[in-house]
Amino acid sequence: MALGDKLRALFARRRRQPRTVISMHRERQVAVFSILLLLLVGLPLWWTTTRVYRADLPSEKVNLFAPENAFEVPLIFYIDTESPLSADKAQLIQTNTQALIDAERASFAVGEWRVRYLVDVRVGAAPDAPGHYTLYLRADDATTTASISVGSDRSATISVTQSIVAEDILPELISSIVINEEQAVRGKDTKARKKSQSSHAAVNYAPEYSITLTLLNEDPVNGAVVDWEIEQAVDAYLKPFVDKISPLTKLSLSSQILHHAGSPPVVPLRANNQSYLTPEMLPHFVNSPSWNFASIDPISPMLNFLLFVPELTSQPMHIADEKGDIQSSEAFLVSQWGGVAIANLPDTTRPGDRVKLSKTDMQKYMGYYIAQLRQLIGIRSGTPLPQHGSRARKGSISRIDTRLATETGISDWEFDALLRQWLIRNRQTAITTLQSLVRLVNSLQNMVVMDEIKAQVDKSLEALYKAEQALTDILSLDSSRFHHSYQHAFESAAAATAFAETAFFDPSMVSMLYFPDQHKYAIYMPFFLPVAIPVLAAIKRIISERRRNKAIAAGVDSADHAAKKSN
Amino acid sequence: MNLLRALLHLAGVFLSAYILTAEIAQAAGVRNKKQKIARFLDTENHTNNWAVLVCTSRFWFNYRHIANTLSMYRTVKRMGIPDSHIILMLADDMACNPRNCYPATVYDHPKKTTDLYGDNVEVDYRGYEVTVENFIRLLTGRVEAHTPRNKRLLTDDKSNVFIYMTGHGGEDFLKFQDAEEVNSYDIADAMQQMWEKKRYREILFMIDTCQANTMFSKFYSPNVLSIGSSDKGENSYSYFHDRDIGVSVIDRFTYYNLDFFESVDMSSKHTIADMIGTYNTSLIHSHPGVRTDLYARELQKTYLTDFFGAVQEVELTTKPFPIGNKQAST
Repeated sequence: MALGDKLRALFARRRRQPRTVISMHRERQVAVFSILLLLLVGLPLWWTTTRVYRADLPSEKVNLFAPENAFEVPLIFYIDTESPLSADKAQLIQTNTQALIDAERASFAVGEWRVRYLVDVRVGAAPDAPGHYTLYLRADDATTTASISVGSDRSATISVTQSIVAEDILPELISSIVINEEQAVRGKDTKARKKSQSSHAAVNYAPEYSITLTLLNEDPVNGAVVDWEIEQAVDAYLKPFVDKISPLTKLSLSSQILHHAGSPPVVPLRANNQSYLTPEMLPHFVNSPSWNFASIDPISPMLNFLLFVPELTSQPMHIADEKGDIQSSEAFLVSQWGGVAIANLPDTTRPGDRVKLSKTDMQKYMGYYIAQLRQLIGIRSGTPLPQHGSRARKGSISRIDTRLATETGISDWEFDALLRQWLIRNRQTAITTLQSLVRLVNSLQNMVVMDEIKAQVDKSLEALYKAEQALTDILSLDSSRFHHSYQHAFESAAAATAFAETAFFDPSMVSMLYFPDQHKYAIYMPFFLPVAIPVLAAIKRIISERRRNKAIAAGVDSADHAAKKSN
Repeated sequence: MNLLRALLHLAGVFLSAYILTAEIAQAAGVRNKKQKIARFLDTENHTNNWAVLVCTSRFWFNYRHIANTLSMYRTVKRMGIPDSHIILMLADDMACNPRNCYPATVYDHPKKTTDLYGDNVEVDYRGYEVTVENFIRLLTGRVEAHTPRNKRLLTDDKSNVFIYMTGHGGEDFLKFQDAEEVNSYDIADAMQQMWEKKRYREILFMIDTCQANTMFSKFYSPNVLSIGSSDKGENSYSYFHDRDIGVSVIDRFTYYNLDFFESVDMSSKHTIADMIGTYNTSLIHSHPGVRTDLYARELQKTYLTDFFGAVQEVELTTKPFPIGNKQAST
């Protein structure tokens, strides 16, 4: 009460004080100044502090990549004949080959992203580098038609009778090799995929895969205690493959044994003293909740290879087809997941026995795993040419033999085809990821885009240009420097994908993107209302005072007027 | 004074005009986008199924939301999706709640026949890890580099993803943890980001909350099928009340879905249309909604196993690769 009285007294005193012109003037100045200050300082401050930071992505450069612009991949064939081939003839072969390829290519379905293989024909011996192949032309009078044997290195030997000339047989052969692969590589064309026998089994490219080999012993109590010589077997059979493919991707291996694994989630049928799995059971076989295949690797795709030892009462276990016929194979592949092999122990095994699968026992299972791994990684069978000469209709090639790379599990031809396939895929992935990122950033205007993301996009673009440059370098004639350009192109494309994905999945790009207008009002009201009220009140006072002054002036004027008139 | 009033009027007119144009622009934008959606789908191109099961509610009285999610978890697991492909988010731990008179168990039925917690539950995000941010990060894949594998949605363009959410919600939002909320715009944007990076082939989005159908009203990405428990302005209701536990143990919409799933196994040929056909408004006490305009296939031809089963393609490996043999030629 006392405070109220005091305040009232204070205001009363102030009101009683005469208003000087100076004090009124200053009050007005203060009001106007505060409004100006609010506008001049406040608005830019508000604008800068609430602005979303968006780095300027090089969207024109990213959108320059169009699916119609074919990506050109060169293949270089060196021809080795008994009598030296003239440069003119090499040129002629190249022209004929290109004509054959173009004719064949016209019948292709148009893929999503276009790819075009270029052929360069040279004379002499090829350097030992991806993309360079030697074709040996040998006269052999014993055969009436041409037969080809494809080596596991980058070479093929063509045995022909004297009557067949190089200019006829070589374009046909080279174009078949090139078309065979180009057709398979062409993006998302289902027809081509079916033709190329590759299924959905293959996993997408990753710079590293973690491979787990698991020995599952269903029941060691009523069955045998099983162990395996996995280290020796891996060193002997799997290691060469891993080493050979290491320039493209890293396969990191680990193994485990699950004793007391328990039965699979399907119950095999039993007849004639043997049990068998039907095709309907196979998809569920690996889904047992008690089998732990967890990997410690957080992101690398996992590939699992199981060796399942059934309990003694259900041995021997086989796989049957739809009609119930037992198949000779005891292994199956699970798309994008891995492979399973079933190990049946010798008949003499008794419960409680200790069985160790030796390195030689493991050879068969490792053979299955290699076959499955090849499929999972995307190696096509029939590289560089299908085995039984589907092109025999042309008549001049009667037989094609392909040497399997039994030492490593992957031949040089297959390695190169895989390199090209991943190179093309990675380039596409990088481009589509960058284009998606640009589209997203444009459509979500509230999303923060940091400078790091722009940096990653720039790096990715640079790597894409590098990959293309590396491939054009191969065709330049003084090419000894560029023998390993294939590898460089591959690495650049893989890096481009990695950078693009880092940019796309940047953790900083998650924020609450949607901010409704009601929320904006709710946030700004408490800030601006208390500031706005005195300012608005001051404006109101200025206006009303001005009006009053005008009225007084007008009143004085009219009074004067009236006075003059009355005079 | 008049000038001030005029100014206020002017501001009001501007504001309403702005809101009106914004609304119209937005409506037009949605329509354009819908027309642009490519309906191309490679039906063979499907190799794996994933499930993201989210319970967003804390506290004992929300026992039923945990039970809903765990029941769904049991079902998708029984249908054949492996644990590595299920992301389970539970905002609270009812099994270990001191008010639980059946410790270490969670039941969804007063008869207590199946313990949902059991011995094989892998909860990937638990307790305070269940946040809007983590959920959006999970969907978009923008997780921190050190995130373990079980907290990542490692899907690709061959994956069908089932997303199930339950909790307390309202028009266009779903509450997380009593502290924050995810709104329908953010989920829609997250799905678009998934689509842009080819992180899914098809999505089945199912949500059991109040006014659930508003949650998928803002979606605009292709190949998304959405099912919600209740219309705008409607509540979703709980079902069984357990007198021993003292709270409701399941929600009606989820219960009738699970009831249908009881008749379904790994090799079933039931379709999504069959499931939707069993929805009975008088039993569920709300109007379940289905949004199919973004979905390219017919529901009568969409098998439940397309989303819930194990779809691995299997191929016989006819012969071992002759690795380590001296010489081989075919």
